[in-house]
Parts: sequence; C-alpha cells; structure tokens
Amino acid sequence: MSGKFVLVAALIVAGAAAAQSKKFTAPRTPDGQPDLQGVWTNVTITPLERPANLAGKEFFTPAEARQYEKDTVERNNADRRDGGAQADLNRAYNDAWYDRGTKVVETLRTSLIIDPPDGHIPRKPGAPAGLPPGFGKPPEGPEDRSLAERCILWPTAGPPMMPSFYNNNYQIVQAPGYVTILVEMIHDARVIPIDNRPHIDSGIRQWLGNSRGHWEGETLVVETTNFNDKTRFQRASENMKLVERFTRTAPDTIMYEFTVDDPATFTRPWTAQIPMKRTEGPILEYACNEGNYAMAGMLAGARADEKKAAK
Amino acid sequence: MRLKLVALLGIVGFGIAAAPAWAHHAFAAEFDAQKPVKLKGTVAKVEFINPHSWIHIDVKDADGKVTRWMVEGGSPNALFRRGVNKDALPQGTEILVDGYQAKDGSNRANGRDITFADGRKLFVGGSNPDEQPNAK
Repeated sequence: MSGKFVLVAALIVAGAAAAQSKKFTAPRTPDGQPDLQGVWTNVTITPLERPANLAGKEFFTPAEARQYEKDTVERNNADRRDGGAQADLNRAYNDAWYDRGTKVVETLRTSLIIDPPDGHIPRKPGAPAGLPPGFGKPPEGPEDRSLAERCILWPTAGPPMMPSFYNNNYQIVQAPGYVTILVEMIHDARVIPIDNRPHIDSGIRQWLGNSRGHWEGETLVVETTNFNDKTRFQRASENMKLVERFTRTAPDTIMYEFTVDDPATFTRPWTAQIPMKRTEGPILEYACNEGNYAMAGMLAGARADEKKAAK
Repeated sequence: MRLKLVALLGIVGFGIAAAPAWAHHAFAAEFDAQKPVKLKGTVAKVEFINPHSWIHIDVKDADGKVTRWMVEGGSPNALFRRGVNKDALPQGTEILVDGYQAKDGSNRANGRDITFADGRKLFVGGSNPDEQPNAK
C-alpha cells in the first residue's frame, strides 16, 4: 500500500518536472508568427539598478522578496503626511492615483539589469549622468520644461520600455510584415516592419528612433537606431543602438529584454530583463496636450515667483 | 529619508530618476508649499483628462459667497482600470480638499488628500494592477 503510494507520488513529481522543463511554444498568428498580441503590463517595484545594500546578491529568496516589497510599498506610500510642507507637496497626490505596483519581478532578481552581473549601468567615467542640465528650472517658456511635461516623450515609455509610477501598459498588434506596440505613456504607437528592410538614412533622427524587427525562432528581435539628440535614454548619445527581445514564455508572460549599446556613454553594452504580464484592456487614450493645464500653471508660477523676487 | 531617496534616484540616472523628479518638479513649479489650503466644497464638474484630472468645486465662504476652485489630481487612466468612472463623483457631492494653492494665487490647488464629508478617502479601495486576477 505504502509502496504504491510512493510510486504514485514519484510519478506525480516526475510528471511535474517534465511539464516544467517543457518549453512553452507561443500560439501562431494566421500568417505563422509567434503570437505576442494582447495588452501587457511591465509594472514592478524591482529597480533598474541593484540597490547598494543588495550588492553581490543577484536573487532574493522568496522571504526576502516579500520583505523588500513590504518596505518599498511603505516608502512609496504617498498617503503619508510626515516630513513637512515641501515633502508633502512632493507627494503631490495621494496613493489612489498611482499604479506603481507592489511586487518584485517573478524571477526574484534584485535588479532589472541582468548584465553586467553587478546590476549597474556601466557608465564611462565622466559620461553624463543624472538629470540633464537645467532640468526643472523656472521656465521662461514651455521649452524649458521636460519632454514629459510637454507631452512629447515619457522617459520610461521607451524604447526601451520600463516601468514607471503609473500607466505601465502596452498593446501589441501583429499583421503580416509588421508588429505595432501601442504605449500608454504618452500615447505613442511604434510600427515595426519585420521584413528585413534597412534602417532609414542616418541623417534622419526621430524621438522614438527607427525600429526594425525580425524573428529569431520564438523571439522577436527589434533593433532601434536613429534617435535624436533630445531623447537621450539614460543620457546616452543619439548614436545609441538598442536591441529588444520579446519571447512569449508562458500564456500570460512575454519575457522582455533590452540591450543598450553606446560606446560614447557606456564602457560596454548592458542588458535588462522585465517580464511583461497579460493584463486587462482596453488602454484608455492618454491624450496629453489637450488637458495639460499644468503647463500654463507652471509658467504662471514662474512669473509669480519673478514678481515676488522683484519686490 | 525623502532627500536620501531622491539623491539615490538621481544617481541611477535620468531614465528612472525622471519619473519621481518629474512629479516633484512639476508640482513645485505649479504650487506653493507656503500656501497650504483646506477647502470644503461641492463638486461642480470633473474633468477625467490626461495628463492630470481636475475636479472643479464650489467653495462657500462665511458670507455665503461662492468661489469656484480647480483641484488637480493624477492621471485618470489608473482610476479607470480600477473601475472608477464618472459616477464616482457626481455633481453636488461634498468633498474636502487638503492641498497647496497655485503660486500665481489663482483658485487652483493640488489635491493632496481628498475626502468625502464623512471622512472616507476619495478613490481609495481599488486594487493594484499587479494584484488583478488576470495579471498574475
């Protein structure tokens, strides 16, 4: 009796192991591409770079992950009212408006960067870092405010696509010869030809660069070049080359990886990995300019500050 | 702690730092930390628009004079995903706004905390997107 039980248990374990090692194969679109279509979210609280106190630690244990989640959610909590008026204004609206997630990535990695293994951007000594010069200065006109505030470009919306504090949603649509990625922030659609055509002329520079895709087995590989000199992801130069890889690894998961190469800014290419999870749609249109009263508010604020200073 | 966090984010670079810094700068540019306001008013109109939603309220002073204020909130997209819609804040609803007035002295404020007259917090109770059943 007990022998039989052990045998059954062993078979169940063996079956589970076999099921796990069996690689998921994505369903196919009518024209035979692996199907990446749907609405996906990359929301996570896992940081791009490994926090200093986790140096040398590539993965959390499940218990450590839960503790990190608890601490981070508490730190992010914008409902707190401690710290004085300026801190309070920095938490300008309460937590209900945010979508920054409560979980680390399912791989339990401690940083989104997987290469270099230390989880840090291999920035060249002396290369630009941090916020660009003049960021946030009192504006003479709209041009003095950030691209995000001007509804031009959201710094994490990509390419490459990274999580931010809300609206981390993406819709992928495929048609013969094309993949299109609609990004919620801030209402950009990237139409990617996958027919091996060359990039556009290097003299043509674009906010989102110029993307070209192809399939390598189950993986969609998208190479983007031709960025303009204002996009500057992570302060990289306009000659940054980006390679993104999309692989459907489970019914509800696309494993998204991107590699950034810009010898002017980084000592070597670096790679981040973010699982994208299926989520509910549809994505509400993020029409940004129409309601951007804040721009007029910021300009009026700067004029009011000037008047006060002149007195 | 907050300063430390901002500094840390500054170190990791523009991409990830820009998000919190953006919120920080936009609000500090628009509103005055020296002008905290507490407003009690009734909802006249709600604009669920991007990039920020605006709640318009009528505030009555001691003499019965009514002033219209505009109160800034976050992007409505996240609220829609949680099932908050135009019925969540019908015209005439009494709300309390705890925020900061615009630097130019106009009747605009950020909605730092918004509560109903009975003390319930506006919009609280929704689930996070990564806890939705379909977003395992």
